[in-house]
Order: sequence, then structure tokens, then C-alpha cells
Amino acid sequence: MAKLNQKLKLKLKYKDDLFKFILSIFIFGIILIFITVVAIIIYYSYPAVSRFGIAFLWTKEWNPPKEIFGAATFIAGTFMVTIIALIFAIPLSLGIGIFLEEYCPKFLKGFFTIIIEILAGIPSVIFGVWGVLTIVPWLRRDIEPFFEAHFSNIPFLKVTENIGYGILAASIVVAFMVVPIIASITKDALAAVPKITKDGALAMGATRLDVIKDVSLPFSYRGIYGGIILGFGRAVGETIAVVLLIGNQAIIPKSIFGVGYTISAMLANTFTFAVISPIYASSEVALALILLLISLIVNIIGRNVLQKVIGGKLSRTQFGGG
Amino acid sequence: MADIDKNNKNNNIDKNNIDNAIDNNKEEIKIEVKNLNFYYGDYHLLKDINLFFKKNSVCTILGPSGCGKSSFLRTLNRMNDYTEGSKLKGEVLLDGKNIYDKSIDVVELRRNVGMVFQNPNPFPKTVFENVAFGLKIHGIRNKQFIAERVEKCLKYAGLFDEVKDKLHKNAFSLSGGQQQRLCIARAIATNPSVLLMDEPTAYLDPASTATILDLIANFKKFYTIIIVSHNIQQAGRISDYSGFFLNGELIEFSKSGDFFTRPKDKRTENFITNRF
Repeated sequence: MAKLNQKLKLKLKYKDDLFKFILSIFIFGIILIFITVVAIIIYYSYPAVSRFGIAFLWTKEWNPPKEIFGAATFIAGTFMVTIIALIFAIPLSLGIGIFLEEYCPKFLKGFFTIIIEILAGIPSVIFGVWGVLTIVPWLRRDIEPFFEAHFSNIPFLKVTENIGYGILAASIVVAFMVVPIIASITKDALAAVPKITKDGALAMGATRLDVIKDVSLPFSYRGIYGGIILGFGRAVGETIAVVLLIGNQAIIPKSIFGVGYTISAMLANTFTFAVISPIYASSEVALALILLLISLIVNIIGRNVLQKVIGGKLSRTQFGGG
Repeated sequence: MADIDKNNKNNNIDKNNIDNAIDNNKEEIKIEVKNLNFYYGDYHLLKDINLFFKKNSVCTILGPSGCGKSSFLRTLNRMNDYTEGSKLKGEVLLDGKNIYDKSIDVVELRRNVGMVFQNPNPFPKTVFENVAFGLKIHGIRNKQFIAERVEKCLKYAGLFDEVKDKLHKNAFSLSGGQQQRLCIARAIATNPSVLLMDEPTAYLDPASTATILDLIANFKKFYTIIIVSHNIQQAGRISDYSGFFLNGELIEFSKSGDFFTRPKDKRTENFITNRF
């Protein structure tokens, strides 16, 4: 009997090890894919990088017939769209997250949460089409004439062509795509604040606003920050909606109403034609490398450096449990 | 007095017991609970509670888990306002005024009735900011006053010497016992007259527990203290009055001496003796 048990145990142990081995292969596969992506991008961008060097980053010209390539216009467009989108999206998302977690009646909370999750899952091309149908005419008809009349001498708000398409149109639509991500993470981060700590503040006579300001937000800072990083990642790489809205001209926009180009939009529009010349193709891959580096750097900075700064001030490790 | 008599007619507490207690101590009554019923949904959590708390006394509410003692404590500073689906009937008179009256400012009520919780629950702020929190939300901006008050409260809570070099460090860097004393300092910063404590030593080591029990004994001079506990020995040591809750009913409430040596109710006796 004892012997039989021994055998059974061995058999189970064998199964367990096998299972572990299979799972290890999966995780190894993920790492391999990551390495392959980075390696291929670096390999194919090498001709362009070696020919143009670091100046590729600030060269404004993109001229395939003359074989002069520079990324400056696309980098500028990418950052403008991302930053303006986040300026719109962050306050809106925090507001939605705070409302859902702290103020929303229970029976509505579930409904709103589902709407936000559905919004987060809508394909970006649909957002793009929606933007062309609503945001672009709205900007052309109402917003741009208004700014032209009142703010035409402020540098970044000057309306050059009253067409609706441009950096602002793309930024607004990207903001709508980013809001569900940051809002749902904000909501989850706020939900994780210990009730007893919130009760502690309420028991001192704090209002709900005091509790949010002094307890909930400081407690969930890191989670919200992670949500913003994720939102940045989505905004910086957003392609199809931007292609439809930004105007697709390789110039550095002088105003938020100007047309422009982002790295991802450029790749989506022209990469298939670029194969006609090796250096053209390589320059396009170099653009991809820049985008990859931006998202990697933001992720690494986001995850480590800033979290350490915040984490040092607000370490939660010592929180007594029970 | 007549009111108490009237309201105690249907209560389980022996009427004479209360009368004796009142006659023997002519001190002022700080909180009086009259016909308090508390419902959570359809569940009748607290049933017809009648009792009083004397000024500058320590009172312990005892009872097994789920008997409603914590919920009772939370009705005294209206923390039950935030329990969705709850309903309250009856009166809680603080200095003769019903705290459930529409004219009562809940913010001011909670400034006057401080609360300390089971777990240490400091805010994600520095030690200093934790104690200053109450002052700030009640509109005090004078920096010098705040600094003096913070130091004073930390001294009262017996914590100042341990944290004077860490005032501007995160409160979570303190030990569990220190955190709980910080929460006590925070609770007394707004100069309350009542302190509610919900099993304040439940999760602390014996040394920290002893420190906090000493604090409570000293605090009697300044505050009316109501403690919820399941620790009978502690209750016997530190409290002037003791009450026993069972299934949402107040079974017995009397001076601690009588309560522990001559319990009137069989159920109280069982509870005390089983635990001893």
C-alpha cells in the first residue's frame, strides 16, 4: 500500500514538473518575441542609422527622390498629439474615476463601468471615422473661426488653414480613446484604498472632498500614475485614427490647428511603398525604432525612476493589516 | 431622570440598577442613548438600547463577535451615516442635544467626538501632517498654533520622544503600536470631549497594549471614553462602567465593580466566567 502511494506521488510529481516545463516554454516564447522585435528593428534600421547618424533625429527634410531622410517632423507631430491628448484626457479620466468610486450611486456604477469598458474595446478606426464625421466639422465650423477671431496673435493657437483636420482634431480623438484606460485604472486604484483609512478621516469630520484629496489620492497615486503611463503608451502609438485626422503632411506644426504627421501614421501610410529603395525602407524602420525607444523609455522611467520617488514618500509596505 | 425611568420600562436592564448608579454618582451625564434601534436592511441589529455615559468616565462595551457592539459605537458619532441601507430610530443625546437632529452639524459633532479604530489607520502623510489633519480640515491655518498643538498631542499620546526626529517622515514608517498612538494623538488634536475606541488594542503586541491602556487611564481626566472590546480582563482593569451586548441587545450595564463581581444576568455571568 505504501509502495503504491509512493508510485502515485512520483507520477503526480512528474505531471507537475511537465506542466511547469510547458509553462516555462510559453514565458520563454514571450521573451523571445520581444528580443526578435527589437533585434529586427535594429537590424533593418542600421543602414539609415549609419548613414544619417544622430542627425536623423533633428533633420526636418523627408525627401525620398533625393534620399534625404530625417525624423524631426514626425517626432514633433507624435509628441504634440500625445501631449495634447493627455492634457485633455488626464483631468477628464481622473474626474470620471473619482466620480465612479466616491460619488456614484451603486446602481449606476455598474452601468457606467460597463460603458467605459466597452469604450476601451472599440477598434480605433471607428474612433477615427467618428472623429472625421463630428470633431473635424465642429472644429472647422465653430472652433477655428472663433480662435481666428480672438486668439490669432497667440503663437500656438493661430489658425493657418481653416480645414478642421490637424493636430487638435487628432489629439481630441486620441484623448477619447485614452480616457477609458486611465479612468478605469483610476477607479480600481481608488477602490483599493483601505476603508478603515477613509473612515478614519470621515470620523474626524472630513468631507468627502477632504477624504479624496488627503487620503484616497495620496494612497492610490501609484496606480493612477501607472494608468497614465498606459494611456501615454496608447496615445503615442495610436495609428489609424490619427491617419484619418491629422492631415498627413510632413511639416512641424506651428499651431495646434496645423496639420502634421506622426511616426505611426507615416509608417502606416508609406511603409509599403518604401521598399522601392533600400535606404528609404531603412529610414522608415528607423522611425519605428524611435517610436519603440520612446515607448520603452517611458515605460522604464514610469515603472522605476518615478515610482521610486513616489514610493519613497508613500511607502505602503508598513501598513498594518488585519 | 423621569425620562430615563420612562424609557427604561421596556428594557432588559434592571431599572433600579441604573437609578442606583445615577444616585450614587451625581456627576453629569455626557451621552444618553434612548430607545436606540438600528436596522441594516431587514436585519434588526440593535434592539432598544438605553444607557448613559458619565462625564470623564471610562466605559467598556463587551460582547461576542457580531453582537452589534461596534455598530453601536458607530452610532455615537454618526459613522453609520455611510452604511448603505441602514436605518436608525431613537435618540442619542450628547450634552442633552440629539445628534440625529437635523440642526446638528456632523463635522462639528465629529470634531467633538473623536474615534480610534481597531487597526492603526494613519493617513498616507507625514507624522506631523497626520496629527495636523483634523486642525486643517476644521479651518485652522495658524502654523505656529498647529505646530504647538501637534507637539502637545504627541506628548499626550506618549509618542513625542519616539518620533521627534521623524515628524516629517511617512507615518507608515512607524511601528504598529506607534501608529496606533499616532491615531490617538490625531483623534485628540481637535480637542474632543468624547473618545470612541473600537478595540484599540486588538492587533497590538502586549507592550504596546499596556502603553495604550495606561494612556486611557490618564485620559479620563479630559475625556469621556467609550471602548468596545472583547477582552474582559482589560475591561475590568480600566473601566468605570461596563456593558454587555448579546445579539443586539444590551443585557447588562453597571459599574464595573458590580458588573464583574455580581452580574445580575445569567448570560453576563456566563460570558465573564467562560472567558476568565
